[in-house]
Amino acid sequence: MANTMLEVKELSTKYITRFREDVYAVDRVSLAVKEGRSLGIAGESGCGKSTLALSLMGYYFPPLHYTSGEIIINGKNISGMKPDDVRKSILGREIAYIPQAAMNALNPTRKIIHFIEDVIMEHEVYATKKDIYERAKKLFETLGLPAEVLQKYPVELSGGMKQRTVIAISVLLLPKVLIADEPSSALDVTSQKMVIKMLRHLMEAGMISSMIFITHELPLLYNVVDDIMVMYAGQIVETGASREMVFDPIHPYSKGLMGSIIVPEQGLRDVKLTAIPGVPPNLKKPPAGCRFAERCRFVRPECLVTNVSLRQAGDGRAYRCILPEAELREAYAREEHKK
Amino acid sequence: MKGYLRYFLNKLGWFAITFVFAFLLNFILPRLMPGDPVAAIVARFAQGMSNSTGVQAIYEQYVELFGTNKPMWEQFVIYLQNVAKGDFGFSFSQYPRTVADVLKASLWWTIALQFPAIIVGWLIGNTLGALAAYLKGGFDKVLMPLSIFVSNFPPFGMAVIFMVVFGVNLKWFPTSGGYGFDLIPSFSWQFIQSVIIHYQMPFWSIVIIAIGGQAIGMRSMAIYELNADYVKYSRFMGIKDSKIVGYVFRNAMLPQITGLALSIGTMVGGALVAEIVFSYPGLGTTLLRAVLGQDYPLISASTLIITVMVLFANFIIEILYGFIDPRIKAVQAD
Ligand SMILES: Nc1ncnc2c1ncn2[C@@H]1O[C@H](COP(=O)(O)OP(=O)(O)OP(=O)(O)O)[C@@H](O)[C@H]1O
Ligand SMILES: [Mg+2]
Repeated sequence: MANTMLEVKELSTKYITRFREDVYAVDRVSLAVKEGRSLGIAGESGCGKSTLALSLMGYYFPPLHYTSGEIIINGKNISGMKPDDVRKSILGREIAYIPQAAMNALNPTRKIIHFIEDVIMEHEVYATKKDIYERAKKLFETLGLPAEVLQKYPVELSGGMKQRTVIAISVLLLPKVLIADEPSSALDVTSQKMVIKMLRHLMEAGMISSMIFITHELPLLYNVVDDIMVMYAGQIVETGASREMVFDPIHPYSKGLMGSIIVPEQGLRDVKLTAIPGVPPNLKKPPAGCRFAERCRFVRPECLVTNVSLRQAGDGRAYRCILPEAELREAYAREEHKK
Repeated sequence: MKGYLRYFLNKLGWFAITFVFAFLLNFILPRLMPGDPVAAIVARFAQGMSNSTGVQAIYEQYVELFGTNKPMWEQFVIYLQNVAKGDFGFSFSQYPRTVADVLKASLWWTIALQFPAIIVGWLIGNTLGALAAYLKGGFDKVLMPLSIFVSNFPPFGMAVIFMVVFGVNLKWFPTSGGYGFDLIPSFSWQFIQSVIIHYQMPFWSIVIIAIGGQAIGMRSMAIYELNADYVKYSRFMGIKDSKIVGYVFRNAMLPQITGLALSIGTMVGGALVAEIVFSYPGLGTTLLRAVLGQDYPLISASTLIITVMVLFANFIIEILYGFIDPRIKAVQAD
């Protein structure tokens, strides 16, 4: 049985805005990623994917605040740790993060190598600049990045190169868990492919032990990750193995979201892109019942008042709906038939 | 580097052209003022003389001396030749003193007043602005409105307030001059003390205004930088906050350096008003007297100094800035 690299139990976090309003962007999220596995997180813009990514780091600064729950990374429960201990012993070493806007993730006035020195020296007191340079050079070469990049300022690099540089820096200390927040959006197709290839290579070469890949582009997920989790309004609405999630979603929201997937190899090119009507709820005042109720075509009166929890559905799948799996599947079949 | 050389030469060319035009204007504009400055000098020297042919003779002598009877272009050629030799001629209004002599005396007063004032204002202003961005809360809420208020104050207004409050009402400081009227410049303790006391009001009236402007600029730059993505990423790579604050302030500071260099360049022209209000013996007061006395050579030379300083400061900024800030260098290379 492979070790669990990341385990999250009922994690909730919120933003406190300048106007002292709370935004409940991550609500009782639980997940687990085993060694050698990758998890994809999908959902519409604003559903809390990035916030979840930030929350998983266990290191909070305003406006984001921890509310409750536990994060266990490689067997270490970091939820009770002092922030400075998390910073020194967890960040970069156990868990690392590639931000959504990796283009702007580097200090524009600091050479890449100097930032790398800062990062390593923060964690390894005895590291010398010469050793750091050698290490960085070797890592960059392994990842197919020219070593000259080290001597450059971020502004001198192209977007794709900046992105890959950030990825390389994130794995400098060989973290157990790597969280990549939309690492390939905003890039052209060639650069996207390079980034995905690089992330895969990191897993295969054992430089990272597990990965969380966040995106709203579902086709990307299908080809890259083992498991998929769908988020809606700060909650998980469905989770399961990648293949079943894509071809056989249970939750009406996943169904709608996956309905728009295009998997070229499977000849599904002509599946209609179905946008889900309506807008997500305001996370300052999340609905008392099912958060998706307002937009759900199977909504019932009790959906609006009952707090729905995740239900297990076999094969490690779970979904958040009061309707039984069989009933939902029947409804989908009827819809299919009508077309 | 080749691209950079081309950029450098291009800039140099533009500054040369600007200088030529400024030089021409500095010469022509004062001489277009109505009135006859020579007559004023003669009137001063010929006081009490009743012999009108005698006065006329003196007048012609001076016209000859100053060359004001020659056509403008010829005057310009002579001026050009003299300036090239570093000779700016006689001052009309303070004849027989030469322009160089008058300027030498006043320029140092101006530099000694403004240079420290600009540096002090810049340092205090940037520190306060950075602190306001970092500490937020009450400090920010008090500092910002104050800075906005102060920085929008016209310089003469600030000078007048200082004069009225600290000079006239509280009588803490003398209201005019660079040193006591009864003293002769020397290295005596008494003289130095007098200089220091006279220095305070013009100095602080400039500093206070500079603080306000710098603090506002630095605060918004620092707030912007504090929210930049690299701050978040650096934090998540385990970099400690004190180091990140270092990144942020360096980045916020770089554009402020332009501001510093510019105010040093424009200092002679910039805050002359404070000098005039306090009758400080610097370039401001000299220029005012030159204008009132239609002293062409002195006006031209003063404005030429100001022009050269502004151009030089701008040039230095443009050239050096690319080296200091890689963000600019990247743009320049394009
Ligand atoms: N700094 C913040 N302060 C307050 N609310 C915020 C802040 N950042 C995000 N939010 C809110 O939190 C919710 C989740 O945002 P988040 O950025 O996590 O979404 P996302 O799923 O990553 O979206 P995207 O696909 O656009 O990146 C949104 O409703 C957003 O408005
Ligand atoms: Mg996001």
